Amino acid sequence: MTPPPSIGAPALRASIAEPAFEGAGEAVADHAPLTPEDLARSHDRFRVYNARRQRRRWSLLWLLIGPGILAMLGENDGPSMISYATTGATYGLGFFLPFIVVTFAMAIVCQEMAMRVGAVTHRGYGELVLQRFGRLWGWFTAGDLIVTNLVTLIAEFVAIRVGLSFFHLGAGVAALLGVVLVVFTLSGGRYWRWERIVLGMAVFNGLFLVAAIMVKPHWGAVGHAFSTFSPFPGGSFNTLLLLVASTIGATVTPWMIFFQQSASADKGLTPSDLRHGRYDTIAGGVLAALFGCGALIAGAALFGHGGSNIHGLAGAGFPGALKLVSGNGVATVFALGLIEAGAVAILTISASTGYAVGECIGVPHSFNNSARKALAFYGANVGAALIAAAIILIPGAPLLSIALNANVLATALLPVALVFLIMLANDRELMGKWTNTAATNRVALAIVAFISICGAAYGIDSFLQTVHII
Amino acid sequence: MTEEEQEELVMFLERDQLVFDTSRPVARVPFSRRMSAALWTLRVFVILVSAMVIYTFISKLGS
Repeated sequence: MTPPPSIGAPALRASIAEPAFEGAGEAVADHAPLTPEDLARSHDRFRVYNARRQRRRWSLLWLLIGPGILAMLGENDGPSMISYATTGATYGLGFFLPFIVVTFAMAIVCQEMAMRVGAVTHRGYGELVLQRFGRLWGWFTAGDLIVTNLVTLIAEFVAIRVGLSFFHLGAGVAALLGVVLVVFTLSGGRYWRWERIVLGMAVFNGLFLVAAIMVKPHWGAVGHAFSTFSPFPGGSFNTLLLLVASTIGATVTPWMIFFQQSASADKGLTPSDLRHGRYDTIAGGVLAALFGCGALIAGAALFGHGGSNIHGLAGAGFPGALKLVSGNGVATVFALGLIEAGAVAILTISASTGYAVGECIGVPHSFNNSARKALAFYGANVGAALIAAAIILIPGAPLLSIALNANVLATALLPVALVFLIMLANDRELMGKWTNTAATNRVALAIVAFISICGAAYGIDSFLQTVHII
Repeated sequence: MTEEEQEELVMFLERDQLVFDTSRPVARVPFSRRMSAALWTLRVFVILVSAMVIYTFISKLGS
């Protein structure tokens, strides 16, 4: 093996602004104790080094993609796809189609920052907020994450249940499938294995695009919606706000920030991989927007067929209604898509819970550790899935309402997480020359303002209606 | 794998990528009063909005 030149970007060093291409062997010269986690990660880095040295560009891309695509397609989860389909069924093809693309463009800006902070500092979001800004703020953000993750995980199990119910399978199968998947993917003790299995599953998010093509939409109307952002939806202002807030919550969420930063660090990304990290994030955003639009177009097939009466997760509403309007094939593809969307999201959201818990209590938190070595990380991963699975088995639990409100709650809690991410990405002591540019800061702050306004508008309007003030 | 092979392999990691390095906490940055006030304002805002969303959700369940 030819040892690599180290780009040497040690966090918190004055020299970070001028990376020294120091000689190899610096790491071991310090006689730092090596752990199995170090060895597993260095195996992956060895392959990256070889691909880069031999100028195998596609191989390098293959090795470095992962966290970005998983964060984006993981967020194309059960409630999100149902939210898009509901929008299509309620309003048809119009404003919300290009709006999905806009929200994913916002997600790319936010997730690029998370990837960059993870690659440069080699630390997760939770631990950086906790160490850099104090325990109180660290636990606040972790608390937000755990609450929204639990609610969202329940919604993911509901999505699997809805998909399975089309095939006459019950809640028990949905709960078992989700938990078994989490345990199976965790069983290898390697980040690389976990990531590749979940990536393989995430490919099937494309089923929503297949469903969109199968419903034979009016492509002229699709083009018109994209080029004019119209027709603008009418009807109840509160319903419109709910759909705007839930569409935002379907694309930018706290767990994505935690996940992509921690996964980038766990994967072993370094500043020399930032370009590929951006490709990964952009590819994830483009694919997710494409598949999300697919769900909306498929749902729009129900527009004019009583689609507005299918309130989100009303039983097996969407697959069943699509069967009546567009045939069994479309319904089957849509139901399979829901199962995939829920399953992938269970894996990524459980992982983000594991990272957050491990980082905040300061114990090992890597897929490259064995379960014995990283008990809290693995325990939180499985525990979160188990709790959500148990809740969907409770007879009479308000599952459908929980699922519909999961995205809105995520939108309401997002501004704090985003502000801390922007602060980290501007921390020159941590990030050296990889801090945000002025343009990135302007865009990021505009995104925070937009999300805050949308979340607050829905929250306040709904609250005032509920207490009968308006 | 021998110790020598392990050490050779670990050279493919950045120095600050080692668990030994990442397990050392980074220094805390003190907030100015203005920054602290802004963060608390945002925190209270987020809690209020979340409380409204949750209240509405629970009320709709009841009805």
